Amino acid sequence: MYRYDEFDAAFVKERTAQFADQVARRLSGELNEDQFRPLRLMNGLYLQLHAYMLRIAVPYGTMNSRQMHMLAHIARTYDRGYGHFTTRQNIQFNWPKLRDIPKILEDLASVEMHAIQTSGNCIRNITTDQFAGAAADEIIDPRPVAEILRQWSSLHPEFSYLPRKFKIAMSGSPSDRAAIRFHDIGLQATTNELGEIGWQVWVGGGLGRTPMIAKLINGFVPHEHLLAYLESILRVYNRYGRRDNKYKARIKILVHEEGIDSIRQQVEEEFAHVKGGVLHLPQEELDRITKYFAEPQYELVNETTIDVAREKIVNPPYGRWLERNLNAHRQPGYVSVTISLKPIGGAPGDATAEQIDVVADLAERYSHDELRVSHEQNLVLPHVKITDLPAIYAKLVEHQLAEGNAGQITDMICCPGLDFCSLANARSIPIAQEISRKFGTPERQAEIGDLKIKISGCINACGHHHVAHIGILGVEKKGTELYQITVGGDATEKAAIGDILGHGFVAEEVPAAIERLVDTYIARRERPDEPFIDTFRRLGKEPFKEALYGSV
Amino acid sequence: MTQMEILTGNELLSGATVYLDREGRWVEELQQARVFLKEEAEARDAALAATKKTGRVISLEVETVSLRDGVIYPDRIRERIRAEGPTAPRFDRQHLDEDGHVSI
Repeated sequence: MYRYDEFDAAFVKERTAQFADQVARRLSGELNEDQFRPLRLMNGLYLQLHAYMLRIAVPYGTMNSRQMHMLAHIARTYDRGYGHFTTRQNIQFNWPKLRDIPKILEDLASVEMHAIQTSGNCIRNITTDQFAGAAADEIIDPRPVAEILRQWSSLHPEFSYLPRKFKIAMSGSPSDRAAIRFHDIGLQATTNELGEIGWQVWVGGGLGRTPMIAKLINGFVPHEHLLAYLESILRVYNRYGRRDNKYKARIKILVHEEGIDSIRQQVEEEFAHVKGGVLHLPQEELDRITKYFAEPQYELVNETTIDVAREKIVNPPYGRWLERNLNAHRQPGYVSVTISLKPIGGAPGDATAEQIDVVADLAERYSHDELRVSHEQNLVLPHVKITDLPAIYAKLVEHQLAEGNAGQITDMICCPGLDFCSLANARSIPIAQEISRKFGTPERQAEIGDLKIKISGCINACGHHHVAHIGILGVEKKGTELYQITVGGDATEKAAIGDILGHGFVAEEVPAAIERLVDTYIARRERPDEPFIDTFRRLGKEPFKEALYGSV
Repeated sequence: MTQMEILTGNELLSGATVYLDREGRWVEELQQARVFLKEEAEARDAALAATKKTGRVISLEVETVSLRDGVIYPDRIRERIRAEGPTAPRFDRQHLDEDGHVSI
């Protein structure tokens, strides 16, 4: 893992001290709220419906056990004993008090963490594949480049006041597990005709009120030019992105209105000036950063396979967990383990301080002191020996973390919604809970197979509903929460935006509506292992529309 | 129907949801809120201005409400949830600290 150098440490320490002083000045009345608000937002401190919310950055979703223990400490000491992991691979605390924020930031700084750039019109936390550096299908570990991008984008003087926030996602594997085509910039590792590894650059993707799939702006940018190329894109955006209308200010609108060819030409012109200059990335610097992400010292092990079928008979819950929650690792005898934060009937993404500590301990003992946060709001132990799986599972069972449902209907992405968020129009979490309870039996989930439901409590789409196989969007109409249902979205390399099927449903009707969609899929699939999304692509939306609204 | 309004915001230190009551205090309980009638707009604006001066209540809002059997009922769901705390998972709302009491 990356360790702060002197510059990182000094800059975080300085910012922490600065913010402590700003809080003190706010408390004394020297600063008013208009003056203080932008300062607190720059440090990740929002005001939500019931209290402040502190959003803490987890760079590219990677942490060590010490950092994770610190999050548990913060949850316990300054909050209400739990934290909420988000689709940005970050963590949020929902109940901190203003006076405690400087202490929290000091505690975070002591483990090389902070909350800088988790708000505001700047480049936000760079996200990536939760299996980065471990996945069997990976071309390259994206995290060294993600770290270089973190350093480049942190307090970048030119890009601290962009027209709007800016999100970059990276995938080192051809299987996109980071939704890169729905980010302002998406980077996909690729090889050129010489076999060299570089980056496909996608631009102008996004969700929110105007969902867009990113366009390919460059099919191959070598590592050494990546910073210069991204700087060129940001400069074009900073110059031409709209500042007159916040709803049209994201780069996706610029790309859509100008056209990708025009944007590409302007980026290339800028790139011609920037290329080879101070942003040239020397191989030795890339090598230096890459060393921080060196592969762990894996053991050579004899046991390299798991008899899941046998385990499903001997110990069905364990067998199901093995079947659903493991991802193939590049090292024989190892796997990556998804720890589901989606207990049946629970709040997606929430973990108690005790659970956070347990996962930290497991990471230290069994995963080379590494863990990840996924954008699907789960946790991951990236490097686990197959022989350690029974012990890990037993510990997870003890702490209600052993749900074997990764990628299934109850493994939902869900924003905090109107229970917490000041922007939301409708609640999300109770909808997720009801769906989870309705479909929660192992048999039903197994019958359905891979199915992604994502729920947003407003059109800002933090719950990624546009790219769900079945998406749910909460709206408020005449004082009532209504839920629109979309079908056919896909966040992977087969990127698609879901279609709205018709009018919305009141909350009580939603689980039954989802059941009608699921039953239609099961009735119409060609074979039991045809996934929902494939059935939808084969049949189109009509059968699903009919299931919800009847034939017209 | 007569339009009625209340004043609400979040207290600076704790972030807790608060309401202006009849005595000019910012309190946690929605049912203690002062209800302003349409013709009391001047008093409402004066209370807002006085509150802003304290610097202690942020995210100030005027919310429309109705009275149902003498109970204050905010028009927006958002406000009803703000008054009660999160519904799922169910959490007690944020409370004022000892030094969190504000008056105008």
